[in-house]
Amino acid sequence: MIWATLRLQRLQLLVLIGALVVGAGVIVLLRSNMLDALASAQLTQCVTTLDECPAPDGAVKAFVTEWDYLFEAARFLIIVLPALIGVFLGAPLFAAELEQGTHVLAFTQSVSRTRWMFVKLVVALVPALVVLVLLQYLVWWWLTAAGVLGPRLNGPFNPFNFGIDHVSPAAYALVAFLLGAFLGAVTRRTLVAMTAGLTAFVALRVVLSGVASRWVPSERREAPVTSDVNLRADGGLELESGMLDAAGRPVPKGESLAVIDACKASAPEGPDAQDVFTACLAEKGSVKSYLTVIPDGSAWLAHVYDAALYGGLAVLLLAGTVWALRRQG
Amino acid sequence: MSTRSHSGPALPVHTDGVGKKYRRGWALRPVSLVIPHNRVVALVGPNGAGKSTLMGLVTGMSRPTAGSITVFGDRPTGRGLHPAVSYLAQQKPLYKQLTVAETLEFGARTNPAWDQRYAERLVEQAKVPMNAKVGTLSGGQRTRVALALALGKRPRLLLLDEPLADLDPLAREAVLRALLAEARTQGITVVLSSHVLAELEGVCDHLVLLHSGRIVLAGDVNRLSADGTPLGQLVLHHMRAAAQEEAA
Repeated sequence: MIWATLRLQRLQLLVLIGALVVGAGVIVLLRSNMLDALASAQLTQCVTTLDECPAPDGAVKAFVTEWDYLFEAARFLIIVLPALIGVFLGAPLFAAELEQGTHVLAFTQSVSRTRWMFVKLVVALVPALVVLVLLQYLVWWWLTAAGVLGPRLNGPFNPFNFGIDHVSPAAYALVAFLLGAFLGAVTRRTLVAMTAGLTAFVALRVVLSGVASRWVPSERREAPVTSDVNLRADGGLELESGMLDAAGRPVPKGESLAVIDACKASAPEGPDAQDVFTACLAEKGSVKSYLTVIPDGSAWLAHVYDAALYGGLAVLLLAGTVWALRRQG
Repeated sequence: MSTRSHSGPALPVHTDGVGKKYRRGWALRPVSLVIPHNRVVALVGPNGAGKSTLMGLVTGMSRPTAGSITVFGDRPTGRGLHPAVSYLAQQKPLYKQLTVAETLEFGARTNPAWDQRYAERLVEQAKVPMNAKVGTLSGGQRTRVALALALGKRPRLLLLDEPLADLDPLAREAVLRALLAEARTQGITVVLSSHVLAELEGVCDHLVLLHSGRIVLAGDVNRLSADGTPLGQLVLHHMRAAAQEEAA
């Protein structure tokens, strides 16, 4: 059964291996070109922080202009790969057999339906996941080398950064694949399963985007308005921000905006404008500023919750596929 | 699981009031039927008479709504076909992208008992090239490959659903001849379904006539036409009677 399935999936396997070889080659090449470009523009030290960047003016901007679309292409690849796995591997898996009646051939040999189904699922899915994870790792390796000059500047909670990190791509691929397989088993039409599966997967990704992050405990940062502490310095996913009065209660949004406007209007021009402005805020009752964030360091937990959410969906889809195939014939 | 009858080895097919009902009604009304050993059975009836339904019940592809069925003493489970039974569906499903040799390899790897030399011989007899892709074969050649796949597992019961339907007369003749030769020499019970009796007349020695999900006539051909009535006339007579009964 495993031989037969491998043989029937041969084309897909070859395409996957081809995609891996080409993708890996291109990424390795681009990364080494990028490191050369960074060195020649004296940007190598700027990868970790932009604050102490010794490069000449305009070098950063020129680098970003030249490389940005390539970074975007790499992120795009990892974002769309799960959908492609669902459309081209998941959807035809059972639909093509049901459409051509070859499932009868399989069912009437001495092989149980359940075994036939699981062997097909595993043989199609495992190589695809391996290729996805390897390409994801290579993209991560490349983008890490670009540091804050690349998309990492936007932090791990940026929807596109989140979608290509940790276990999330594998979890998305699992759902896309099983969604295609399930719809194929139900509709018995490859084309219907491909299009409906893609639509449903994109809708799911949009609806569930950011849901897992909400389950991660948040952190509250506070600082007196008169201090020059930057609450946003450590990044993180911002949930809420505002002012606190002397008692530590949040100042209503409308009120705090009115205070800010009033203080701005009364502040004099000059070098101590900022101090006068913050002193005015404190005087009018906005003593502290606060920020509720999910710290960047908790991104891994959000990925684990994300994987659990999609994993649960995958289990439901698998059960649905088993049910749909059992009632065939 | 085994529900063997007390006398002799278990029959190829034994049904006890078996029936199948879909939402639109009975596809096969409860029937009790026996298919004996070493026979070539013609399963005849117009389209929609319940021939494929009966075959589906024997293979375990579908479950009975009523009654019970045993195949060589075992109930069909749907967990793979009985090792002693081969089934060739009406569309003769084969993987188009495989070669003939790979199709036989598929049979070898999905069946515990497989006679590779025998399957290869059947393909050679049909003069089908081993390295040809199944998708490029003619209807007759495809049927011969499908038969080789079905016979390669050395069945004692071979079920063929409308095996001749899409073949030209020459191929039809060749397929029937090859099939009967194997059935006789290997001692296989063969069940062939058709909506045209003429195709099977002179080939079968046992008849099961279905009409609207009912068995109208069943038994040994020689005994059925013992009074000298040609089989064709007998079938026509029973079909008319069944149709009139249904109308009334």
